[in-house]
Amino acid sequence: MNWIVQGLDREQLLDRLPAISGAFRQLYESVFNLPQVSAETLELCRLRLAQLHRSDADFALEEFSVSAPQRAHLQDWPQSSLFSDEHRACLAFTEVYAMDCSAITDAQADAVKAHIGEDGLVALLQALGVFDGLIRLGLIWQASPAGVRQHG
Amino acid sequence: MGSHARVKAPSQNTGNVIRDSALGIVPATVEPYLALNAAVWDAGPLSAAEVELARLRNARHTGCVMCQAVRYDVAISDGLTEEKVQMIRGAEPDAELSARERLLVAFVDQYNVDPAGIGQGLQEALLQEFSEAELLHLSLLVAWFNGSSRCAVALGGMPEAMPRMEISIPR
Repeated sequence: MNWIVQGLDREQLLDRLPAISGAFRQLYESVFNLPQVSAETLELCRLRLAQLHRSDADFALEEFSVSAPQRAHLQDWPQSSLFSDEHRACLAFTEVYAMDCSAITDAQADAVKAHIGEDGLVALLQALGVFDGLIRLGLIWQASPAGVRQHG
Repeated sequence: MGSHARVKAPSQNTGNVIRDSALGIVPATVEPYLALNAAVWDAGPLSAAEVELARLRNARHTGCVMCQAVRYDVAISDGLTEEKVQMIRGAEPDAELSARERLLVAFVDQYNVDPAGIGQGLQEALLQEFSEAELLHLSLLVAWFNGSSRCAVALGGMPEAMPRMEISIPR
């Protein structure tokens, strides 16, 4: 139960300040349509961020459809054969980004660029910024996300 | 931290620091990026000086040298002094900050360190001091600056130190 306006979910809270949250949502939704990095890869990274933040509600959300086995094995992606080399490079990058963005190595950035290019790295970083932001907002407000939204 | 820039900025020179940065190589997000940045400064109830204090406190957490060196001119015009900026530089904010400013810093710290762990005491103090719209503004501006600051750090090439720079909001 959020502590700012009782009874509202995260999206309803965002709706209370539309002049800013509208711009945030526009950026959030734009990343799923970028040509530089696939929505599937981004969704896996978003779900991994949700796991790292221990946000069960964000992990339960589906912004883009990924397979049930991929969801089930996401926490153990390094040992799983369900993830492509592009997924692996982006997931490794995401994990360090979540913990300490200054600890990202040139090798980790190069691995991402090898699969999705320099513009893909920028697109991934922009996506991680809004994914991480929305998850943190839900946690600090103690407000769950509403329902399931589909992209793509 | 990456010692060299990991992405080449576009060769264009529009005079807009966002369009001319590495972010410019993903054109589809540039306009939403600029719109959100402008909204955070223009469309919420917190003063520009308060927005800047929160932004600078956040930059301390992300370790973004560039973000810490920048001062937005709207915040200076709003009365933000360098003395005040120095008061939020330490691990523990200066005791001479107002109660409202200390709460603002506490929220930014909580967002960065442990958003899920916000305690009832801080919640009640924030509700006592800030209106609903102010709390939502504070939340969204921290989310925005945190993401953009992390992006700047992760793109590499950050110098170890930079001189203080006063800039306008890029639009």
